[in-house]
Amino acid sequence: MSDSENFPIDVFPETEEMDLRPGADSCYKCSACDTSCPVAEVDDDFPGPKFQGPEQWRLKRKEDTSVDESVMKCSNCMRCDGACPSGVPLSQMHNTARAEYVSEEMSMLSTEYWRNRILANYGTLARIGSKVPRLTNFVMGNSLVQQVNEKFLGITAEREFPEFATETFVEWFEKRGGSTVQSEDKRVAYFHGDYANYNTPEVAKALVRVFEHYGYEVAVPDQRCSGTPMFANGMMDDARRAAKFNVETFHNLVEDGYDIVCSCTSCSMALRQEYPELFTFDGTAEVAAHTYEALEYLRIYEDVEGDLKGAKPNFPNLAYHAPCHARNQGLDGQAVNLFSELDGLEVTDVGDSCSGISGTYGWKEENYDTSMKIGEEMFEHMEDAPGETGLTECPTCAMQMGHGSGYEIRHPLEVVESALVN
Amino acid sequence: MESRTEVLVIGGGSTGCGITRDLAMRGVDVTLVEQGNLTHGTTGRMHGLLHSGGRYAVSDQKSARECIEENRVLRDIAAHCVEETGGLFVKRPEDTDDYFEEKLAGCEACDIPTEILSNEEAREVEPFLAPDIEKAIWVPDGAVDPFRLCVANAASAEQHGGRVLTHAPVTDLIVEAGEVVGAKIRHEPGPRNAATVGKTETIYADHVVNATGAWAGRLGEMAGVDIEVRPSKGVMTIMNVRQVDTVINRCRPKGDADIIVPHETTCILGTTDEEVSDPEDYPEEQWEVDLVIDELTKLVPILGDARTIRSFWGVRPLYEPPEVGSADPTDITRDFFLLDHADRDELPGMTSIVGGKFTTYRMMAESIADHVCQKLGTCARCETADVPLPGSEDFSVLRDYMDEFSLRSPVGRRSVQRLGSRADDVLKTDAPNPVLCECEGVTRAEVQDALSQSGTDLNAVRIRTRASMGNCQGGFCCQRLAAELHPDHDEQTARASLDDLYQERWKGERHALWGEQLSQAALNHALHAATMNRDTDPAKTGTPDWTDFDGGQP
Amino acid sequence: MIESDVLVVGGGLAGGTAALSAAREGADVRLVSHKESTLRHASGLIDVLGYHDGTLLADPFSAVGDMPEGHPYERVGSAAVEAGLDLFDEVAGDLYAGSHTTKNALVPTHGGTVKPTARYPASVAPGLASDDGEMLLVGFETLTDFDAPLAADHLQNAGVPFEVRGVTARFPMLRADAKITRYAKVLDTDEKGIRSQLVEAIEPHLGDATRVGFPAVLGHDHPARVREALADALGADVFEVPSGPPSLPGMRLEDVLFAVLREAGVTIETGNPVVGFEASDGRIDHVAVKRTHQRVPYFADEFVLATGGLVGKGITTSREGVREPVFDLHVPHPENRYDWFEDEAFGDHPFARFGVAVDTDLRPLDGSGAVEYANLRAAGGVLGGADFAAEKSGSGISLATGRVAGRRAAQS
Repeated sequence: MSDSENFPIDVFPETEEMDLRPGADSCYKCSACDTSCPVAEVDDDFPGPKFQGPEQWRLKRKEDTSVDESVMKCSNCMRCDGACPSGVPLSQMHNTARAEYVSEEMSMLSTEYWRNRILANYGTLARIGSKVPRLTNFVMGNSLVQQVNEKFLGITAEREFPEFATETFVEWFEKRGGSTVQSEDKRVAYFHGDYANYNTPEVAKALVRVFEHYGYEVAVPDQRCSGTPMFANGMMDDARRAAKFNVETFHNLVEDGYDIVCSCTSCSMALRQEYPELFTFDGTAEVAAHTYEALEYLRIYEDVEGDLKGAKPNFPNLAYHAPCHARNQGLDGQAVNLFSELDGLEVTDVGDSCSGISGTYGWKEENYDTSMKIGEEMFEHMEDAPGETGLTECPTCAMQMGHGSGYEIRHPLEVVESALVN
Repeated sequence: MESRTEVLVIGGGSTGCGITRDLAMRGVDVTLVEQGNLTHGTTGRMHGLLHSGGRYAVSDQKSARECIEENRVLRDIAAHCVEETGGLFVKRPEDTDDYFEEKLAGCEACDIPTEILSNEEAREVEPFLAPDIEKAIWVPDGAVDPFRLCVANAASAEQHGGRVLTHAPVTDLIVEAGEVVGAKIRHEPGPRNAATVGKTETIYADHVVNATGAWAGRLGEMAGVDIEVRPSKGVMTIMNVRQVDTVINRCRPKGDADIIVPHETTCILGTTDEEVSDPEDYPEEQWEVDLVIDELTKLVPILGDARTIRSFWGVRPLYEPPEVGSADPTDITRDFFLLDHADRDELPGMTSIVGGKFTTYRMMAESIADHVCQKLGTCARCETADVPLPGSEDFSVLRDYMDEFSLRSPVGRRSVQRLGSRADDVLKTDAPNPVLCECEGVTRAEVQDALSQSGTDLNAVRIRTRASMGNCQGGFCCQRLAAELHPDHDEQTARASLDDLYQERWKGERHALWGEQLSQAALNHALHAATMNRDTDPAKTGTPDWTDFDGGQP
Repeated sequence: MIESDVLVVGGGLAGGTAALSAAREGADVRLVSHKESTLRHASGLIDVLGYHDGTLLADPFSAVGDMPEGHPYERVGSAAVEAGLDLFDEVAGDLYAGSHTTKNALVPTHGGTVKPTARYPASVAPGLASDDGEMLLVGFETLTDFDAPLAADHLQNAGVPFEVRGVTARFPMLRADAKITRYAKVLDTDEKGIRSQLVEAIEPHLGDATRVGFPAVLGHDHPARVREALADALGADVFEVPSGPPSLPGMRLEDVLFAVLREAGVTIETGNPVVGFEASDGRIDHVAVKRTHQRVPYFADEFVLATGGLVGKGITTSREGVREPVFDLHVPHPENRYDWFEDEAFGDHPFARFGVAVDTDLRPLDGSGAVEYANLRAAGGVLGGADFAAEKSGSGISLATGRVAGRRAAQS
């Protein structure tokens, strides 16, 4: 007899069976969600978030398992959440429907399933790849490998795989002996995510240095992927495992007085919004309540705005793109506002459009064209902006910006580091 | 105008439609007249419960037995109108164990299958049930769409040669030499009758059946006989979504506000029981709406903050022989009575049917038809329990809606559930088939099909398709539905139909005007008044002097 | 610490106008807006006053001064209404027309009616009902909000001074459930030569029409370019018939308004609601902005509330009553909710007038008529006393009160 059989009936089964029909109560059909959807604007197969969310859910009966397959076209940019004036839990409805579609209707033998699973579990791939970064970079950069990926896995050959750093952030952090600041009352736990660890450790290092500059002790606990790519691919079991690990880890730190900071806006989004919407582990709510985007944290608790006035970072003019997930957390104006009075450079907002890549979405061969179409507006605005270096908080937006414009893309924390620390 | 028929059935509710179908299938020449739409009366204003009989298992076991029998029949012959939801009698801590046991024993005595569920088991079936409920009895309750059922009965009657006239109120009964010999009707604007609108028609019949429910007394007056129907009103409050997929009954002796019926995309909360003097004019009161919400919140707590989209009232056509004299309408039997006016009032030529309930409509129709056939001296056998209704002939298909009908799967699934075996005929179209009512997933093809049966009456389209019955209550689709009337009908006609539907939607929505639904109403008001200027449309209020207004940049 | 001179809560027309007006007075202004504004619900027409006591007004200013006590126009006076409109003309620039006259224009709507409005998008201008040029209306099978032949008959039945016909065409390439933004996108980018395909489909119906009206989907980013291309190819003026929600003209206006605000140096934050406040000595000290789970204080000297009415959720209701949720301001309303509405769908509904009552400085008043907070003003839909839908006065109220509230806040 397995352990689970000894327990009473699980009255509220886990998320796949979550009944979100009551969420449709808030919808008054204004379609603000549809008008904010970057996919519906360019993709004829996607009928928009209003249909995918409140309408599809309202038409559902308990015994209905079939979810319209168009839900797989949703890129999970979550702009609909930010648009809805009425509080419909749109992205939660999409995530749950997508998980239902994947578990009920997608064949686990299909290439699409495995491709999505591989993309969703980028962290695993990266962990292995980064062990031998030079070799991996060489192999993944090989055009033959890219053609094979496209043909057999449906991963577009148009994109170049991100390069792995020769030293991961965690290796660097351990090597330097952890945080150089010890503090009882100013302590943050850093959720760096996979990308900053394996691919852009300079961003993660900037975070550590900036927070140490302000007198914070920085903890870097062992952690898994935030789950964002897994939600987007309906891989809810994978996401649950990762989330459970993260919640346990960070909940312990929160209890020890740490706040959680993220450098990636999709990671902070996952911890503060998606976890409590989708999971009920002990500590989920506490973790959510103590999670911040890094600069947001400094704006609230430190006078970073004042300190940056007139500061002179060693940076050229920058073209800033606000990731959709930053927008959802109300952070879209933050970087431009903070950097508006820096000396010697201009930061231009390239508009409120979506970059189009939305994590793993734009990596799929069938979405590549759509993804680039969505990004067109951003590319044009980057072209028009005075800077020739890009700036954004989101690693996949950065890939798309770089891919479409050829610019080098930096992170706001790097600018702050350059302005305040060096 | 003048016409003849063997049997004239008055009243297009479930009973009248059922009788008409039954007689037509027996080869009788039958005509049905209805003052408004089909289901205009009580049938169109019920909670849609397909009784298992459980509700009557303690107080009225005869009714309970009839219910379970007919429940089984309707699952067969009306599959596309019935949803097999199952039902629960839920016991709260303050409800007595004795009654729970009585209920269980009663069901057993009436051959109603049951199962006892613990708190955990009941909440596994319905997770939104209150955590403090004690236990529940499962019974085979179901949900039925009364509109669809009546329309299917009428369609079947027509297929068998019957004549169905809607929007044809009876203005008088014709009594000659002490015998009812027919009725005068007036043709009011409605479907398929453009040529006869405004005319009166005298219909002579060998026998007249008064199946007008709560209106039976009025018909009786026309013939000079006394039929003491005791109309009793009850409120039904419609929730925006289905909080439960199972019928939820409170397990206690009869009382107000004790049932939740999942109905299509919604849940219907019911009800109250208050005797009224006039079936058409009675107060619709706030306390009734508040009562059903507050009481049923004890069974399903999220109802307390959930959105309701409207409320409506139905009038039960209760009847009891005058000598019984019940003071409280809840004590009046739900049984039906066949009044043979030849025996009862020495007025041959007419039979009235009063009382009864929706679930047993077919059985009532059968016994009336038997009675009428006996009067006519024909003796064909009743077949209505065996022959499926149109739409329910073959209804068991799993389909790929996108491939077949170019519809997204929830829209396709709902459409096919509504149309039953007619889905292919209606939905296969070469033209683009956009969804007109997004709340309920109703496409243009389905609306056009309903229009072909309903003429210019958009309320008749509504009851066939559910268009405009969702959360926006027609705010976004009324005008799209009206546009479908054009160009077959002119602009004024389409506009008048739009005004009627919009007003009808408003009538029920008024009872739900707080929270999200008031926000919705304000948005609808802005759309129709501010954006479309339908409130002061110059086409209605008079042509302005155009030259007084901005003619553009000179 | 997050701090500014003036904090505006709400990012619609009223909030935007207030923020811009305050910034122009030299204040450091922050605008926080929870979600997309109801601008994208609205038709994009700028109504000032179309009806007074049910009478159609050719000149809105003939009656702006006659509004009953408590109406937002009465509170700020008609000069403020004119000034608000002037400010709008400057903000909207070429995107809008109608400023050449004080008269109302009668604009054909997607319902086939005409409605009076003071300013209208340039894309709507060739469609005015007081122009006598022959009109062809074009609808698309898949855009179900606008039935062109029905609208044409409706206009004819209203006695318009021109010939009008309607035709329903098939919009090439798009599926039946494509969103209006998809239509706009393919027209913006002229995907697969869509513009000439459309022209080809419509040309045979053109006849002697000198102007052709379409549903309002003619481009989002480049509407002028789309119209010009179609007009050139058709040899007739091209215009849009406003509708909504959702509404592209409303979205275009939103784009322009926010660009102007950014240029004016207003700090804009969207995505997070204001959920509470602290006050002392009759003044608001700060508001709490909810960022997912944290409540972050936003300090300011002066505050402007512009969160909209029942639609914008600046006013909320329950079975128990009517509330203003941010500052818990007093909202006058009948106690019994069955007195909130009339039985006729287009009756004179009390709910349509729900909102806060203010003094002539636009400061909200409590139940006894006293100012609630000395440094709080309210503007736009959150104000009570006007049924903007019946009066056709929504935008005018937002502009007039937004401007006054913003200026006074900056000057205080």
